[in-house]
Amino acid sequence: MNVAVLRPQVPFARGGAEIFTDRLVDELRARGHDADLVSVPFKWYPGARVLTQAFLWRMLDLDEADGKRIDIVVATKFPSYLVRHADKRVWLVHQFRQAYDLDGTELGQFGDSPEDRAIRRKVQALDRVALGEATRLFAISRNVAGRLESSTGLQAEVLPHPPQGLEFRCDGYGDFVLSVNRLDRAKRIDLLLEAAALDTGLQIVIAGDGPDRGRLEQIARDRGLDGRARFAGRVSEQELADLYARCLAVYYAPVDEDYGMVPLEAFLSEKPVLTTTDAGGPLEVVTDGATGLVVSPDAGELARAAGWLREHRDDAATYGRAGQILAAEVTWDRAIGRLLA
Amino acid sequence: MKVAYFSPMPPERSGIADYSALLLPALGERLDVSVVKRGRKRAPRGTDVSLYHVGNNPDAHGWIVDALRREPGVVVLHDYVLHHLVAGMTVGRRDGHGYLDAMEREYGVVGRLLAHGVLDKRIPPLWESRPADFPLASFVLEHATGLIVHSRTVSELVRASGFAGPVWVVPHPAWPVHEIAPVRVAPGPVIGCFGVVNASKRIPELLRATAAVRESHPDVTLLLVGPTSPGFDLERRLQRVGLAEEGLVREGWTDEARLWSLMAGSDVAVNLRHPTMGETSGSVIRALSLGKPLVVSDVGWFAELPNEVALKIPTGDDEVQVLSAALELLVTRADVREAMGISGVELARRGHDLGRVAELYAAALEESAGGAGVADSVLREVSAAAAEVGISGETAEAKEIARRLAEVELG
Repeated sequence: MNVAVLRPQVPFARGGAEIFTDRLVDELRARGHDADLVSVPFKWYPGARVLTQAFLWRMLDLDEADGKRIDIVVATKFPSYLVRHADKRVWLVHQFRQAYDLDGTELGQFGDSPEDRAIRRKVQALDRVALGEATRLFAISRNVAGRLESSTGLQAEVLPHPPQGLEFRCDGYGDFVLSVNRLDRAKRIDLLLEAAALDTGLQIVIAGDGPDRGRLEQIARDRGLDGRARFAGRVSEQELADLYARCLAVYYAPVDEDYGMVPLEAFLSEKPVLTTTDAGGPLEVVTDGATGLVVSPDAGELARAAGWLREHRDDAATYGRAGQILAAEVTWDRAIGRLLA
Repeated sequence: MKVAYFSPMPPERSGIADYSALLLPALGERLDVSVVKRGRKRAPRGTDVSLYHVGNNPDAHGWIVDALRREPGVVVLHDYVLHHLVAGMTVGRRDGHGYLDAMEREYGVVGRLLAHGVLDKRIPPLWESRPADFPLASFVLEHATGLIVHSRTVSELVRASGFAGPVWVVPHPAWPVHEIAPVRVAPGPVIGCFGVVNASKRIPELLRATAAVRESHPDVTLLLVGPTSPGFDLERRLQRVGLAEEGLVREGWTDEARLWSLMAGSDVAVNLRHPTMGETSGSVIRALSLGKPLVVSDVGWFAELPNEVALKIPTGDDEVQVLSAALELLVTRADVREAMGISGVELARRGHDLGRVAELYAAALEESAGGAGVADSVLREVSAAAAEVGISGETAEAKEIARRLAEVELG
């Protein structure tokens, strides 16, 4: 089967969606399909640029390529699903959240002017039309499916996908809590730093890079965390697998995250996950007292939870192994089987 | 964004006043809404968009249409047939010429001649005898920058009438159901009918059908709740069908709490209509929320209700016969009532959720206030990019771009 995987591209940025779509293409090819990635740059500002850039996808002709019929297109996130195709399947990573749940928050982009309000509504209208055209509609998590239904009335089948293919293993339960994430405000890594400021026994390693790094490093300096908070920056796959293998637990508590691969990666390394009650998608796999600890988004609570895991390493291991069983259920065979059915 | 909100409001006894009382708090969470005082003809300064609730009652809506005609805005069209409103705003204000002009604008010379006939009392008032044949909707539509309607039926009617602006189909919101103490008016099955009692609510047919059902099920009671329209002789009709002595419980206008209790104590809710003015029914929405099986006429918005929640009665020669059969089915089959009731509650919850309705209103108003500017800016940018590479004017490529823009509602 000839499958085009569609991914908007923000030049110079790479995150979960890029890892997911690259891997999807590889996994499709490994199963004998002729798969390729189709990408178009995306810029969402200023003003109505979000609409004109989105519209570029509508002008693409993906019925065939160089005389070869494209059987299925798999769109992933806004605005790739604006494409026209007789068999358009959408595996929704997320909508343009600035037009929905992030509107009116510090992460939103639309102001109060009639023009801004109307642009936001046009984005919503694009979603209704384009997602309504899908022959199959999947979402990577219940959280994403729920947002979709409440915003458009459209129902998606929940179809999680496995995380990136690292050499996951467990080398024990070390002294540090690991954060793996892009460094931006919504990922809420400052909460972990504040927890470390309250608990002098808490050591943390922060893997990843991003626009919030300077602010986070300043917080670490201001709180006197030198030596206990290490910013590892962007790490190689090998280094990341090592960090997962050696840490005590993994911290992952963005605000209302779509899904998040990090908890599954932690579980495959037999590590429990520390998260918060408002983290969204991660709560679909992290259960308090079973596969990790779920606390309110408060530095004190987080510090106490991390301290408890240090004192109860057997429980940490039990939670990690329970998570491993859960993560092992999420396979590419199952995901692709449903996607192409 | 600032919205000026023109509507009748409680304590006015109007379904649209109740509707606005329900909607406003939820809408106020999304937009900066100012309710315009009755009689005012202008929106407050700084308003981005005005919203006008228009129904067929000239006393409740005349001042609103006056304001609309001064300053166009988004109209919530609660009724498509507005002849009664127009008559009230013209003939009722001693402006016969206004009525003649309105009729001529929509129906030509024939319309003007008919209007003359009405004014000269040569023919019965058209707003009473043939309103659906002469809806006079353009009297309002020509001043609307966009329309909010509650049904596909009305959406199609306004399109057929030539209205070219945006039309948003927004469901009627459902009231939250709090703790209600049901009031049962009789020990046997109770058929409830809530609203104004008159011929267009098919009360004569309902009385005959109830009488027919009582022949085999004498424990059935019909509960009629609502004021009687002037000129409708209910007593005589009750005597004629044998419901004057027993089998009927009558209540006039009731307050909201009593209405809910009586409805909750009924087994079936009947809401018939013919002719329809394109309206929705707050009573139907309430009945859905309470999980009551519905019997409705197979017309207009009522015909759009899913079959799972309502038995639909055609308005032809067999109306009474079919209505009797429907009532008999529902009073004898608790399983059918229960299944329909469950579907009704689900429809109210999903389709008529107040938050969802308010969100659709906010979307319509925001699109109306800023949508044209955004559409212009999109078109400008796309056209400029196309022109830079030599695609312009009436070329096939330009048409293709225009078609694709329209597909995703950007053009």
